[in-house]
Amino acid sequence: MADVMERTEQQPELDPGKPPRASGLILTLVAGLVVVVVLGILFWWQGYKSPSGTEVAQPIGTATVNGVTMPHVALSFQTYPDASGSVNGVPIHPGGNPSWPAYGMTNEFQVPAHALVTVTVQQYDSGGSLNNPWFATVRGTVGGVMTVDGNVVSSVDPDHVGHTFTVRGTPGTDPAFFLSVPLPAVAGTNQSDNGPHHTIVFSFVSGDAGVYAWNCEYPCGTMVAGFGGTMGAYGYMSGFIHVV
Amino acid sequence: MSSDVIDEVPPAAPAEPKPFFSRSSGKILVIWLVMTAIGVVISLVAPHHLMPSMISEQGNTAIKTVVLFSVLAAPVAALVYAIATYSLLAWRRGSQETPPEDGPPLRGNTPLTIVWLIVTSFLCIVLLVWGLAELSAEAASHPGALQVDVTGQQWVWTYSYPGTGVESRTLVLPLGRPVQFNVTSEDVTHGFWSMALGVQVDANPNVVTTLQATPNKLGNFTIRCSQVCGIYHAFMYSPGEVVTTAQFAAWLRSQGASATAAVRVARAGS
Amino acid sequence: MSTAVTPHLLEDTPLPPSAGGIYRRQNLLTALVTGVGLAFVGWLVSHAVLQGSHWGTDMVVTVTMACWVVGFNLGIGTFNAPIRWLAGHDQSDADLLYAAGVGQGARRYWKFCTDHKVVGTQYLVLVLILFFAGGGIAMMIRTQLITPHSSFMSPQTYNTLVTVHGTAMIVATIIMVTGPFTNFIMPIMIGAKDMAFPRLNAASFWVVVSAVPCLLAVFFLGGVNAGWTTYAPLSNQDPVAMDTFALTILTFVTSVTLAGVNIIVTMVTMRVKGMTPGRLPIFAWGSVIGSALGLYAMPAFFLAMVYMIVDRTTGSSFYVAAQGGTGWLYENVFWIMGHPEVYVILIPPVAAMLEVASTFARKPLFGYFVVLGAFVAIVGLSIMVWAHHMFTTGFAPDLNGPFMLTTELISIPTGLLFLCIVGTLWKGSIWTRLPMYFVYLFLWNFIIGGVTGIYLSDVPADEAFHNGMFVTAHFHYTLLGGAMIAAVAALCYWFPKVTGRMLNERIGKTAFWIIAVSFQVTYLGMFWEGLQGMPRRVAYYDPIFEHANQMATVGAYFLMLGFLVLLYDIIHSWRNGAQAPANPWRAKSLEWKVPTPVPLENFLVEPVVTADPYGYGEPSQPSQPAPAPAPAPALASAGTDEGPAPGGGEVR
Repeated sequence: MADVMERTEQQPELDPGKPPRASGLILTLVAGLVVVVVLGILFWWQGYKSPSGTEVAQPIGTATVNGVTMPHVALSFQTYPDASGSVNGVPIHPGGNPSWPAYGMTNEFQVPAHALVTVTVQQYDSGGSLNNPWFATVRGTVGGVMTVDGNVVSSVDPDHVGHTFTVRGTPGTDPAFFLSVPLPAVAGTNQSDNGPHHTIVFSFVSGDAGVYAWNCEYPCGTMVAGFGGTMGAYGYMSGFIHVV
Repeated sequence: MSSDVIDEVPPAAPAEPKPFFSRSSGKILVIWLVMTAIGVVISLVAPHHLMPSMISEQGNTAIKTVVLFSVLAAPVAALVYAIATYSLLAWRRGSQETPPEDGPPLRGNTPLTIVWLIVTSFLCIVLLVWGLAELSAEAASHPGALQVDVTGQQWVWTYSYPGTGVESRTLVLPLGRPVQFNVTSEDVTHGFWSMALGVQVDANPNVVTTLQATPNKLGNFTIRCSQVCGIYHAFMYSPGEVVTTAQFAAWLRSQGASATAAVRVARAGS
Repeated sequence: MSTAVTPHLLEDTPLPPSAGGIYRRQNLLTALVTGVGLAFVGWLVSHAVLQGSHWGTDMVVTVTMACWVVGFNLGIGTFNAPIRWLAGHDQSDADLLYAAGVGQGARRYWKFCTDHKVVGTQYLVLVLILFFAGGGIAMMIRTQLITPHSSFMSPQTYNTLVTVHGTAMIVATIIMVTGPFTNFIMPIMIGAKDMAFPRLNAASFWVVVSAVPCLLAVFFLGGVNAGWTTYAPLSNQDPVAMDTFALTILTFVTSVTLAGVNIIVTMVTMRVKGMTPGRLPIFAWGSVIGSALGLYAMPAFFLAMVYMIVDRTTGSSFYVAAQGGTGWLYENVFWIMGHPEVYVILIPPVAAMLEVASTFARKPLFGYFVVLGAFVAIVGLSIMVWAHHMFTTGFAPDLNGPFMLTTELISIPTGLLFLCIVGTLWKGSIWTRLPMYFVYLFLWNFIIGGVTGIYLSDVPADEAFHNGMFVTAHFHYTLLGGAMIAAVAALCYWFPKVTGRMLNERIGKTAFWIIAVSFQVTYLGMFWEGLQGMPRRVAYYDPIFEHANQMATVGAYFLMLGFLVLLYDIIHSWRNGAQAPANPWRAKSLEWKVPTPVPLENFLVEPVVTADPYGYGEPSQPSQPAPAPAPAPALASAGTDEGPAPGGGEVR
């Protein structure tokens, strides 16, 4: 196979190539940065924002709890059987899955720190049995009680719970704070976003400044233990409270 | 075949076979000793500084294990690092276009391999014996242990104290008494974990897993969920506290236990 | 000088215009069209049939994505040969040549091409894309973790990113050396003209390509919360994205199985005369051993996902405790795959790195049979250790002791591997070119990764660290700092043969130092997080972990910077680098004896092998064969084995 040897021995000198250019390197780094920033914006935009912005608690004066005087603010929200409807022309959960139960009108709240917060909830949804009846007891409110349609109670029937409002601090934020309020179910079969509802009122003293996470503990979702579907998707049955 | 495959200068074969170990071994020994010393110092200092302060025997065992394993690993790691470092100091021939002359044709060294095998096997046995001893100490049962039923649910931990009717989201334990945790889940798999308390076991639906711990220091600790369990996995944590027996009984009463139940559960076995 | 006929290069064969049949029209674009088209049809049909049924949505998504995979592979030509064979109209020689890329120039890289060199190059590009996609996601994750309660993304988005990052990286690391380099280099290394099953080779590539959109679809279908390990029953609870995730795994395992079979059969049957098993380069052994382990392990992942799909689409209860199933079934089957899988990831790159160490220390591989024995021992033991991932599950506490034993035993053969690596360096002539840099970085990183694994193998220590960031730091040190760095060494080593260009060393060394230092910052920061007790897969953490997280995040940004510099080096050198000679490293294995660029059939004359490729410094064997005697006259046909032996030894 001498011809092969000859042919390859006659190979021209190896091409030394072109030197690297700083512009090429900078382009690569910039392209990498652009990709990461674009991805970042995508995830930021689709991720964290609550369906309808943050509801800020309205100041309504001052109050004295256990001898301590503090600001008094008011907050309200609702729990709906499905997110398809709208209230006064404002959609409950814009762009969401219309068949899922949802908290509304938003899932993010803002309250001042160390203040008395009075919350009014209209609960429109049906319900059933909690996975753990522990959540049927009112915990963390002033006096350990709430009013349901005017009646003062400290717990509800664990087999007729519609949703719960369960709050704790994000890790490291006021670990002692804990609030869990059961929202009783609407009996019967004619639940709707404008139908019969319970009105629940309770008050709690907010903790240190920081971010607190709330979620519903009643399995109103699908799949395993009823915690899939709406329960497993951020924004319907979960949200944040910003204590400032 | 292509001409550039053939060397211009044939490599010089080594003149006579060199002994496997020689003066370079002495220098490597020095580097190895220095690196081992650094590794041992780090091993003795870092775990205590970086890990949380432990409040149970099991937690102390974990730190002791980390320190021991690090100290044992230091000479092994240092040996590899020392040889690698020395190779760059003494045997480095540069990064020129053509390769340097060949090194000696050392294809193996059976006695060295056997010694290496024996030493590493011995180290392995030490680790194993230590681990098995710890395991059996952990598995020892304490008949009078305080029973705590741990329930994980998306996304809250609750703790029940059988016999008192108390269920709480904070874990309060009396000092010095063995506790047996009976852990289960209402929905998906969670991880019941506190490094300071030296415990970790999964909470599985429809089964109860158990483990024990004995708090030996007063103080606070945190239980975090260690097995990803959905969107609020990061928020599934509980505060915990180790208190005196009297404080424990008082706490049980404050959670709704009757006075007799609280005293009975708090004092039983102590 | 004889007057032998100019050898006929196979790639110069003129083909009739009909050669290849339908292959002529098939490429990535047609595959995308047929894939989307069939997926749409599948969606329409399944939606119509299942509308309103309780489990319908999961079934619709599963059928749609399965139709995508089949449609894509129909469109690229994976099924052409079987269909024609079944139809009794088997592919002709001209068709086979066309399929091997003859006459198509650069277009063949976008098509189903059976030339193992083309498949290897395609795999290389895919691996780079997967790594940078996974790395970009890692940047997102680290950005979220730069402060304890960042509002950068929602918890669901974060969990999904963690899942996709893990899966993309696992896929990439499994194929990062066996895909590009076993395919491209190993056949040449053993003296063969191609792999044993060239069409299967191309199929394995395009099948894994079709898995990638299945993974991307996770983002658009609600996300998967359960991490890449997707433990049941949480993954039973996840939205329909879990179904496309399962399809990703089914498709990927199919690809890996096809490739694994191919690699093993190639090594067993296609070795050239004289290439006895004892003369095989260690890289060939590593590829085969890794693939054999993969053949054992990956089907378990397949099975776990089949059960998952059946659970989700039909309401069965393999994994659902309330109906009699158990998540432990999933965990066991998964880890039966999951532990061997890390050695499937690790062994081929380590074997490649041993080639690099030998070449750049100018010494034989120290302890060839010790290395072989260590590989086999690691593989054998790895089959028996899976429950060390389950020490804290409460599954079978009595088994914790035995699994601790088997796990700690793996440290012994691993230690022998280290002996052989440093033995190869011992008294060598260390030639500090770019590939050798990564060998040293591997040594540094893998010691740390391996030692921290030993902590985790001790049950009480595992109770402190399991599912915390300590574990994350450990496996990043071993898989990224160890296996991937060894793969980068392999890339730098074989780059001249694969691309025909030399990698620019100055830029490469700059990239090396940025990567080496920032890697330590990132993952030592992560060990710090782990020692403090930070859990895994959390988007928000206690402020006590803040400093450690900031350290890890800043390190990660610089790590990405280093990899981008390396990427620039790869792209620039591939396009404009210095042309490479056939054997720039003066190495001895067969792949360096063929010209660059490598001819279609690799060898112009079939070599005869008389020694292993580690003859450095041996006085009786000059590093190159003696100049060839005049070839036998009148034997004008190529392919005889009487000619000069460009093999790994010399003609005696």
